[in-house]
Amino acid sequence: MKRCIYLLLVTVAAPFLLAAQTVVSGVVKNNEGPLAGVTISEKGGSQAAQSDQHGRFRISMSRDRNVLVFSSVGYTTQERTVSGEEEIEVILQSNVQDINEVVVVGYGTTKKLTSTGALSSIKGADIRQIPTANVQNTLAGRLPGVVSVQRSGQPGRDASDFYIRGVSSLNPDGNQPLIIVDDIEYTYEQLSQINVNEIESISILKDASTTAVFGIKGANGVLVVKTRRGMAGRPKINVRLESGLQSPVTRLKFLNAYESALLWNEAIANTPGDNTNQPFSDDALEHFRLGDDPYAYPDVNWYERIFRPASFQRNSNVDITGGGESVKYFISGGTFSQDGNLYNFENNGDQVNNNYYYRRFNLRSNLDVQATKSLQLRLDFRANFNRINEPRAGNIVGEVFNFNKIRPWSAPFLNPNGSYAYAGDTQDLSPTINARLATAGYRLDRRNDLNILVGGTQDLEAITEGLSLSARVAYASVESNGREQARDNLPVYRYFPETDTYQLKGGAPYVLSPYTLRAYQGDYNSRVNVQANFNYVRSFGDHQINSLLLYNRESYNTKGDKQSNWIPQNFQGFTFRTGYNYNEKYLIDVTAAYNGSDRFQADRRYGLFPAVSVGYNLAKESFMTERFDFVDLLKLRASYGIVGSDKVRGDRYLYQQVYHTGGGYSFGETHQAVGTIYEGSLGNSNVTWEKQKSFDVGLDLSVLQNRFSLVVDYFHNIRYDQLVTSQSLPLNIGVGVSPTNIARVRNRGVEFELNYNDHIGAFQYNVKGVLSYFKNKVLFQDEPAPAFPWLQLTGHQVNQPLGYVFDGFYTEANLEQSAKPAGGYEVQPGDLRYRDLNDDGVIDEFDRTAIGKPDVPNTSFGLTLGGSYKGFSFNILLQGTTGYSFSVQGSGIEPFQSQFQPIHQQRWTPETASTARFPRLTTNPTTINSPSSYLSDFWLIDATYLRLKTVELGYQLPDRWLPFKINNARLYLSGYNLLTWTNYSLYQQDPEVTSNTAGDAYQNQRVVNLGIQIGL
Amino acid sequence: MKEMNYKHVKWVALVGLMSAVFACKSDLEVEPIELQTIYQVFDRNDSAGVEANRFLLDCYRFLPTTGNRVGGDFLDAATDDAVSSNPTNTSVQQLAMGTYTSDNYPDNQWASYYQGIRRTSIFINHIDRVPLKGKLANGTPFNRVWKAEARFLRALFYFELVKRYGGVPLLGNKVYQLNDNIELPRAEFRECVEFIVSECDAVKDSLRTDPFDLAFYERPTKGAALALKARVLLYAASPLFNGGNIDPQNPLTGYTDGSDDRWLAAETAARDVIEMNLFSLQPEFRDVFITRNPERIFSKQGGNNTSVENNNGPVGYSTGVNNGRTSPTQELVDAFGMANGLPIDDPESGYDENDPYANRDGRFYATLFYNGAPWLGRPVETFEGGADKPGGTKQQTKTGYYLRKFMGNFETAVNYSNVNHDHILFRYAEVLLNFAEARNERLAAPDGEVYTAVEQIRERAGLQPFQLPAGLSKDQMREVIRNERRKELAFEEHRFYDVRRWKVAEQEFNKDLSAMTIYQTGTGVIRQRTPVLKMNFEERMYLAPIPFSEVIKNPQMTQNPGW
Repeated sequence: MKRCIYLLLVTVAAPFLLAAQTVVSGVVKNNEGPLAGVTISEKGGSQAAQSDQHGRFRISMSRDRNVLVFSSVGYTTQERTVSGEEEIEVILQSNVQDINEVVVVGYGTTKKLTSTGALSSIKGADIRQIPTANVQNTLAGRLPGVVSVQRSGQPGRDASDFYIRGVSSLNPDGNQPLIIVDDIEYTYEQLSQINVNEIESISILKDASTTAVFGIKGANGVLVVKTRRGMAGRPKINVRLESGLQSPVTRLKFLNAYESALLWNEAIANTPGDNTNQPFSDDALEHFRLGDDPYAYPDVNWYERIFRPASFQRNSNVDITGGGESVKYFISGGTFSQDGNLYNFENNGDQVNNNYYYRRFNLRSNLDVQATKSLQLRLDFRANFNRINEPRAGNIVGEVFNFNKIRPWSAPFLNPNGSYAYAGDTQDLSPTINARLATAGYRLDRRNDLNILVGGTQDLEAITEGLSLSARVAYASVESNGREQARDNLPVYRYFPETDTYQLKGGAPYVLSPYTLRAYQGDYNSRVNVQANFNYVRSFGDHQINSLLLYNRESYNTKGDKQSNWIPQNFQGFTFRTGYNYNEKYLIDVTAAYNGSDRFQADRRYGLFPAVSVGYNLAKESFMTERFDFVDLLKLRASYGIVGSDKVRGDRYLYQQVYHTGGGYSFGETHQAVGTIYEGSLGNSNVTWEKQKSFDVGLDLSVLQNRFSLVVDYFHNIRYDQLVTSQSLPLNIGVGVSPTNIARVRNRGVEFELNYNDHIGAFQYNVKGVLSYFKNKVLFQDEPAPAFPWLQLTGHQVNQPLGYVFDGFYTEANLEQSAKPAGGYEVQPGDLRYRDLNDDGVIDEFDRTAIGKPDVPNTSFGLTLGGSYKGFSFNILLQGTTGYSFSVQGSGIEPFQSQFQPIHQQRWTPETASTARFPRLTTNPTTINSPSSYLSDFWLIDATYLRLKTVELGYQLPDRWLPFKINNARLYLSGYNLLTWTNYSLYQQDPEVTSNTAGDAYQNQRVVNLGIQIGL
Repeated sequence: MKEMNYKHVKWVALVGLMSAVFACKSDLEVEPIELQTIYQVFDRNDSAGVEANRFLLDCYRFLPTTGNRVGGDFLDAATDDAVSSNPTNTSVQQLAMGTYTSDNYPDNQWASYYQGIRRTSIFINHIDRVPLKGKLANGTPFNRVWKAEARFLRALFYFELVKRYGGVPLLGNKVYQLNDNIELPRAEFRECVEFIVSECDAVKDSLRTDPFDLAFYERPTKGAALALKARVLLYAASPLFNGGNIDPQNPLTGYTDGSDDRWLAAETAARDVIEMNLFSLQPEFRDVFITRNPERIFSKQGGNNTSVENNNGPVGYSTGVNNGRTSPTQELVDAFGMANGLPIDDPESGYDENDPYANRDGRFYATLFYNGAPWLGRPVETFEGGADKPGGTKQQTKTGYYLRKFMGNFETAVNYSNVNHDHILFRYAEVLLNFAEARNERLAAPDGEVYTAVEQIRERAGLQPFQLPAGLSKDQMREVIRNERRKELAFEEHRFYDVRRWKVAEQEFNKDLSAMTIYQTGTGVIRQRTPVLKMNFEERMYLAPIPFSEVIKNPQMTQNPGW
């Protein structure tokens, strides 16, 4: 009976069912091209399909269903209503908070769901949006725990300094994170040479549980980069072409000759006894004002005449990926070119380019070979070549600031007959900047990086299931050299308008002399790394185990100072890691590294670096799944461990007591110096690595099908045994001493990462907020007790500046009773008045105290807003930092060392006493008003800033528009450093400049960039 | 069973592989073996002492130098003899104006001399390991000579510290290591003087004797040891330490009593040098500094070059570099008397205010450039707007004078050529003046020996007549000697300490210094004496402050009074 009904139903329904099906086909992409492996299913139905390697799919749908769901790990699930159209196109947005996503960690991978450590990661596709030359500049504001400052914008030298979880060590070399690219250690410079196009993903490892695998090198956090690898299938070619304009973040303004001359006269009048500077006459001032005699009274804005408002930047990349079952390949080539910010002052007839510029050529080939059924091989090759060019004429970006080099009235830009002039009123009488740029030559530095990695993985299922053995050998080398074309003595003339005659500068030749060619040998270093490891990954029911046992050996050779010349720096050790979880609910990881470095005495080379971390995923508990089923992940985790840092300062062999050869000494009539020998710094036979106790506790939350997620971490680290030079040893010992492991610093902080993504119809959007805050405190640094408690640095942050406390200007009223500076300088109203902390009536170095903050930010935040509608997309990053300060000194700001700038017009005068923002002007460079002689909080500025760091607007062309065999095309407009809100503008400086310098670094650049990406 | 075997083989292979990895041993040395240890420096088999000698040479590098050494200026630019031409606030200007603290004393040599002391002590402790074969002609074996040289250097380093700071920690032969207690107290001034004197006595007969092979010129000799002893004792006998202690009961800053016996000791020590009969005054004053001559007792090699000319030459000459760093004062100019031996304020002297540079003491012409002085084929122009005082921001004389002393004789030359610029640390003229001063102070009135010593100096200077008036009182003779010291030893780093040890700095170094501003007009020359710098001196400045860092690091370290 039953069967009959069945049969009947089938017979009746069959034509109906068949008629009710539609076939939908189309293509799935992300913003870089077709996506393979996307699951396509009908909502509420049972039909499902997968996209192939060209992103193509085909699915039969029931007539009564009209919504398709597109999902893939790492991407936001998208729904699409299908309304009869046969061919549809879907663009998926990547989703960083997908809990099933796999992220790269040290020597392996982990799933966000089961990870117990503190780490954050970003995909290569997301950082490719940023039009900058190197990886370092893409991290700010995107990854919690990273703080970065870009100190310079010079082409090729613009990589940001970055720190993971701030600064913990007093050893200046001891805060640089370890950089690992495809499991091989890279230097900071090597990282900045990597082409962003080659990157698959970047992870930041922050706590002991994730960094302990690196043991003696793990204390500063680790940046892990994984490069892209081939995917099987028909060759896919991807081309990106970008072209952009760079311009300085801020255009500098200097006062013209008339305005400067007025201030010059005022300063001279303010400086009794100055008989070396002569004021300008009223007649001269009038000429400056009218500009009617440009040769007798020149008025040149050197900055405007030397620096162009914008210059070009170009970036082109081609990559091809594909392969079959046995061989897969990813091959990429790229060029990057950045021009300098100077006008071209080409000298007739010679072809030299004296401008700043940067050119880089990258090549990478990653091959995977399935040699036998159980043996997989890989062969990676990378090369890049770059050139950095600079004018040889000196530090041009600094010189436009430098009043002692050139002034608005120093010389005309060119003499009437076209010859070059020189700054006749300065001490070194140097030819004008444009004269030197045109003729003085250039310095070109070339650098070649080469990496080769050969590896294999043997499946050892024969022994036991889940076991495999991998081994790899990697070689990396860097070679650099420099070339210089130089010409020093230039034919420059002084023009006398009254007689219309020219006078050659004394000692100058009448014609240009030929260039002198010089060559330099730069770095030469190489690194060999050998690794072998067993991996054991297996599940027994609800029990999952993931273990690693690794041997690692590294040898680094460098042509450095004489001492380390070609003596390899060796490192070796074992790492053991095992992770266990029960049903993805109870998680525990145990890591131990036993490794060592030959920077220490033979019997003190090896250390054990253990870490343990636990996690508890409440979302898997039944009471949660029953009542709060919208919670996808609620994981509490904690880790504790000990990690190390083997960075030693200067001499590698601190444990040795050696005798050095020194300068010569001679006797007798003839001067034949004999080399001398002296006792080197007292060896410290106990020298050892720095250690850090790291504690981290965190929370991972993900709700509403991963639409909203939150990651919070709190950490508390104690860095101890820091290698610093003892400060409390009396000089009577008569010899230097090696640093000893004595200092201790505490560093703690919190990090938040918050994500939300959703859609309104076809408009998808996501919001990501990142906030990190760290604060360190020096607990002990062997500081002798200072004369007064406020001079003490222990208890403050690392690199805490000391200075005077500004207490208003001196006025007629307070001049008498106020403390005055030690020394013969007689203060006057309008000078900066400082607080007399020890109340002795004298302002001297005992009145200095901790002012401001160090020049590495302690708080950094970022807000990313992204959205897409069909083919349109946008992505905006607002990034900012706070909690640091900087000051500018010397030629950056001080009158008669710096050009006159708008800030100098806000100087103190009796009339402007109440609104003055700058002390009264004098020609004396070492008064109490000088930030280099008397650093004070008047000069130290809170460097908080907020930047519109990046913007990208893109449009992915619909497939039907695409001609030929193009299967993807995307146009985009991107920007970098577009807008900045800060109070740095008072001093015309970028807030990321290094503190206490002249502030004359190459300006950070704003980039506006147009690009096209084509897939074939 | 078969299965098991297979597994075993694989494991064995793996273990074997791992051991192979570990067996890798570098073929390169892992430590820099080219660097030496102390056993290689003082080698038991090195009978020529090649390496040990190189270690000793390194100790010589700590010898004091003279010349433009304090921030590019002469130390004498911190006295009333000169000011720095540098328009900014220089180290010597800080010294002159007293604008320093214990944290930034501009001539802080504490660390440097203790380095020298440590290295000499290492040498002294280890040289006996080296089986030196050589001997001097008089039979003294080399290791005794070298050890004596090191001890002499060490004594001189201590003297350099003592003249600045008073008593300082005495380390003996001990070479301190990290785990030793280095928090040493200062020794008394008396102990330091006794130590230096006893070292000089101990080594004097082991040193080489003058005159000797030129190849060893500038190694210390017996004469050097005796001259050091004479100078130490002269300082010790001087008012600042002997009876005029600024902190009367403080044994660190000087003697707590006063005694004329100390003058006798100083006199005897100076007499010992004179009676060696090895040294004599070089007949031509200018040549003392640019040739090797019998007046030099000990110097540090400065090389053959044009450094003094380049640093201090009048700025208007285009031949070579001329930085004009030193501006001698009108006070120094006035200190030079006339060629007839009379001071300029003596009505008989023949001094003409309208022609002030005529007929002066010969040393005046050898020490200074004045407006009109011949140099490189043209007269020096220090009038306002002249070639050597052009105005503007360029560094140039502030006083109308430039330094001439120590330079080669380029009056009529076209170019500078290399000149011997050794740093003369002891010379015979100083010994004569030390002798005259000590004996004059000891006696109730100067006797013939005092006169002879001073008159030898005046005779060599070319004064005509060089004789001093008979019957000078002790005080008058003291003034004569002090003035001769000022003229004769100008710019040799004596006046800075002489004025202090005479304890007259509160007068001499606490006044306005003057420049001579000269205007060349159509009708003639106008000279104006104008103030150029106000010196400041407080009592605490008689001794330099112990470096602030040392006092806070070392609880045993006592600061000098007032700092």
